[in-house]
Amino acid sequence: MIRAVAVAAFASLFSILGAAQSGASDNESVVVVTSFPEELTTRYEREFERRHPQSHVRFIWKQSRDALAELAKPEQGGADVYWAPAPANFALLRERGAFRKISVDRAALPGRLGQQQLSDPAGLYEAYDVAGYGIVANPSALAAAGLSAPRRWRDLASPEYARQLALPIASKVGFSPALYDILLQSEGWDAGWRLLSEMAGEATLLDSGFAPTASVREGKAALALTIDFFAEIAKANGAAVEMIYPQRTAFLPAHVAMTAASQHVAGAQAFIDFLLSTDGQRLMMERDSRRHPARPDVYQSASPDFANPFTLPASTILDYDWEIGRRRPPLIALLFDLAIVEDHAESAELWRKIHDAEKKFAGNAKAMTALGEAKRLAGFIPVSESDAGTRTFLERYARRDAIDPQQIAQWREEIGAARRQARDLIKSLEPAP
Amino acid sequence: MKRFGVLLCAAMLAGAARYETSGPDTEAFTQSIEGLDGEHAASFRKGSGIFRQAWVIGPSQDHPDFIGLGPLYNRLSCIACHVKNGRGAAPDSENGVARTMAARLSVEGKDAHGGPRVHPEYGAQLNPEGVPGVAGEGQAVVAYAEFDVAFSDGATVRLRRPTLSFRNLAYGPLKPETKTSLRNAPPVFGLGLLEAVTESEILAGAGRPNFVFSVETGQRRLGRFGLKANQPNLRQQIANAFVEDIGVTSSLFPVENCPPSQSECHRGASTPELTDAQLDAAVTYIRALAPPARRNLEDPRVKDGEVLFHEIGCSNCHRDALHVADFSLQPALNGVEIHPYTDLLLHDMGDGLADGREDFEAGPRDWRTPPLWGLGLAGKGGDGADFLHDGRARTPAEAILWHGGEAQSSADAFRNLPELQRDALLAFLNSL
Repeated sequence: MIRAVAVAAFASLFSILGAAQSGASDNESVVVVTSFPEELTTRYEREFERRHPQSHVRFIWKQSRDALAELAKPEQGGADVYWAPAPANFALLRERGAFRKISVDRAALPGRLGQQQLSDPAGLYEAYDVAGYGIVANPSALAAAGLSAPRRWRDLASPEYARQLALPIASKVGFSPALYDILLQSEGWDAGWRLLSEMAGEATLLDSGFAPTASVREGKAALALTIDFFAEIAKANGAAVEMIYPQRTAFLPAHVAMTAASQHVAGAQAFIDFLLSTDGQRLMMERDSRRHPARPDVYQSASPDFANPFTLPASTILDYDWEIGRRRPPLIALLFDLAIVEDHAESAELWRKIHDAEKKFAGNAKAMTALGEAKRLAGFIPVSESDAGTRTFLERYARRDAIDPQQIAQWREEIGAARRQARDLIKSLEPAP
Repeated sequence: MKRFGVLLCAAMLAGAARYETSGPDTEAFTQSIEGLDGEHAASFRKGSGIFRQAWVIGPSQDHPDFIGLGPLYNRLSCIACHVKNGRGAAPDSENGVARTMAARLSVEGKDAHGGPRVHPEYGAQLNPEGVPGVAGEGQAVVAYAEFDVAFSDGATVRLRRPTLSFRNLAYGPLKPETKTSLRNAPPVFGLGLLEAVTESEILAGAGRPNFVFSVETGQRRLGRFGLKANQPNLRQQIANAFVEDIGVTSSLFPVENCPPSQSECHRGASTPELTDAQLDAAVTYIRALAPPARRNLEDPRVKDGEVLFHEIGCSNCHRDALHVADFSLQPALNGVEIHPYTDLLLHDMGDGLADGREDFEAGPRDWRTPPLWGLGLAGKGGDGADFLHDGRARTPAEAILWHGGEAQSSADAFRNLPELQRDALLAFLNSL
C-alpha cells in the first residue's frame, strides 16, 4: 500500500511538471540519458541536429544502476529522454511512473518479435533495437578442427567444441548475464547450469565485452558466446567470423522513453521520432554499430548476410520469460562466479576426467549411470529452479554487496562438496589397485 | 657517419621487425605494433578501453574508475573526436557545428611558461558542455565560402575558406581581440614511433623547432606533438587532452579546466581523476598504435608520383625517412627507418592557412608539418577525410593548393603540372 501510494505520488509529480512545460519549441536542447557508446550517439546527434539545426542534443552517459539513480533525482536530473539497452530499467521506471506516453507509428513499429512483446503495451517506452545472443564462430578454424557449426546450445558441451570455446564472465561483461539467462531458460535451470559448467570446464573465460569476438577473430578460439553486434561489427570490418543464432535463443530490446519530467517535450518527441524513423533506424546498421532495428521495413536496405530477426525461423526464437529475465541477471552473475569462475582449473580437470571416463566406459551401463550422476554433481548449482523463478527470492539477490556473506560461503561449500562427490564417483569406477 | 653506421647495424639486427600493419582498411588505424610483450599488450588493451570509455559525472556505481567528466568538456571520450583513431570530420553545412574540433582561445601575450595567455572568461579552449550547475560555454560554428582555383591547364578545383563564429556563448561575447584557432582532431596512430626519433635527427630538418614547456620537468623542451608542435611528449599531450577536452584531471594536470572568472566551474573537486595507471595505459595505447603499410607500391603512377613528390619540393618538409632510436615497447624496432612524411618542425604556411595565434615559439602563420602516413586510408574506416588543421580541405589536392608561405613554390609547381602528373602525385599520396 505504501509502495502504491509512493509510486502514484512520483507519477503525479512528473505529470504535473510535464504538463506545465508541454508545447516546447524546436529551438532547444534535449538531454538524453544513455549508455550507448559515444561513437553511436555522436552519429545520432549529428544527424538529428542536421535535421533540426537549432536543436542541441546533450548526452549524459549512465549505465544501468547509474541511470536509475540519475532518473530518480529531482526533476529526473533534467533528462528528457532515456535511451538504453537496459530492459529491466525501463520496466522498473515504468512502474515508478518515470515516463510519459509517446506516440509511435504502430504500423511501422510492431513493438513485438513473434510472441515476444518488445515495447510497452501502454506506450510508455518503445523498442529501439533488438540484440541477439549466440555464438561467434571462425568458420576456417572450425573446418580445420573438422567441426561443423554448432546449432544448439547443448552442442557446445561436447569437448571437441568446448576446447575451442571462449566465454564471457557474467560478473564482468555487461551483456553476459542476459545471455546466460537465455541459455538457462532454453535448457532449463539445472540442465542449463550443468551445460554451462561442462562447456566452461574446457573453455577460456574472458572479462570484457569485445574479448570473445576478438578471441575468435584472432584465432585464439574458434567459438565464443556473445551478443551479436560485436560479431557483426568485426565481420563488417573484414574479420573472418560468422554469427550463429542457436535454436531457442532470444533477441532482447533496447528502448527509448520520454521522461515524465521532461521540460522539452517537443524536442524530446522529435529526437525519439528520429531514433525510430527509417533514417534513424538505418544508422544503427552502419559498419561500426551493426545493431538490429526494431523497425522491420529498414531491413530491406541491409546487406543480405545481415540477419533479420523478424524473418528468422520460429525455432530460433525462445519464448523468453521477461519477468524472470529482468530480475535474474544479478543472481546469475553471482552463481557464475561461484560455479564457473572460481576454481576453474579444478572444474576443468573434473570435466576432463568425466569425459575420459565416458570414453573408457562406453557401453558399460552401470558406469554410465554413475557418470551421469557425476556430471550432475559437477554442474551442481545450489539454488533451485523454483527459487530462481520467484520474484521475492530474486529481489534478495539484486545487489551483491547486500547479500549475506555467509550465504555465499554456504553456496561455495555446497558446490565444492558436490564436486568432491563427483570426483569420488569417478574414482570408484577405477579398479582397486 | 658514425651515427649512420650505428643505425644501420641496429636496423640489420632488427631483422624483419615491422612497424606497419596490413590489416583491413577499415581497421587500419586500430592495430598495435607487432610483437608487444605480454605486459605491454595488456596495457595496450587497457588503454584501448580507456580511449573509448565515456567519462561520467560522479558518483557512479557502474563506473567508479571513470568519474571526473567536466566541469567543462567537449566530448565524453577520446574516440568521439579521434574517430577510429583517425581524423575528425568537418562540420555539416546544415548547422556548421564543430563537433570533432576544438576552438583554441587566447588573448595577447604569453603565460608564465611562454605559451598562449588563456582567455580570462573562456579558458584555453571553448568547451560546449558543462556538468549540471555549470553552463556549457557555447558552440563553435563554421561557415564556408567557396571559390575556384585554376590549374595552369584550365582545370579548376573548388576550395572552401572557413569562417569561425560562436553561438550561445554563456559567459558573454568574445572580444574582437580574442585570438582563435580551430583545430580538427588529428590521427593518433604512429605517434610512438615519432616520439622515438632523436631530437638531433629532427633538428637536422629544414623547419624551425618549437621549444615548449615540459610540465614534468619544468624545462624548455623540443615540441613535437600537436598541430603547432606545442607538446614535448605523448604523456603530456594525452594528459592535456584529457583535461582540456573531457575535463579529466591527472597528476600532470591536477587543476580543472576552469577559466578564472567562472565561479560555478571552480566549485567542483579537482583531485586527479585519471589515475597514473590509467594515464600510463592510455599512453601505451597511443605509443603502440601502428601506422598502416603502404599499398600499390608497384603501380607506375605511384612510382612517378613519388619522384614528383621530391621534385616539386614536398619532401623538404614532409621528410620521407626518420629513424627509430629508442622504442621501449618493441626494442626490435630500434634503428629502423620509418616513413612518416613529416619533419615534426614548424613552417610558415602563409596567410591563407594562418590562424593569427602564437603558441610558444610557433608564429601566427606557422604549422607543424603533419605526418602523411595513412593518408590514403583516411575515411575508409568511418573516420573523417577532411584535411589540414581545420578540416577545410576535402581532398589532398585541395590541401596542396592551400599551401602557402614556405610551401608556396611546391603548391605552384603542383598547379603547373599536367593532369597526368597531378594524378600521379595524388596516386602516390593515396598509397601512403
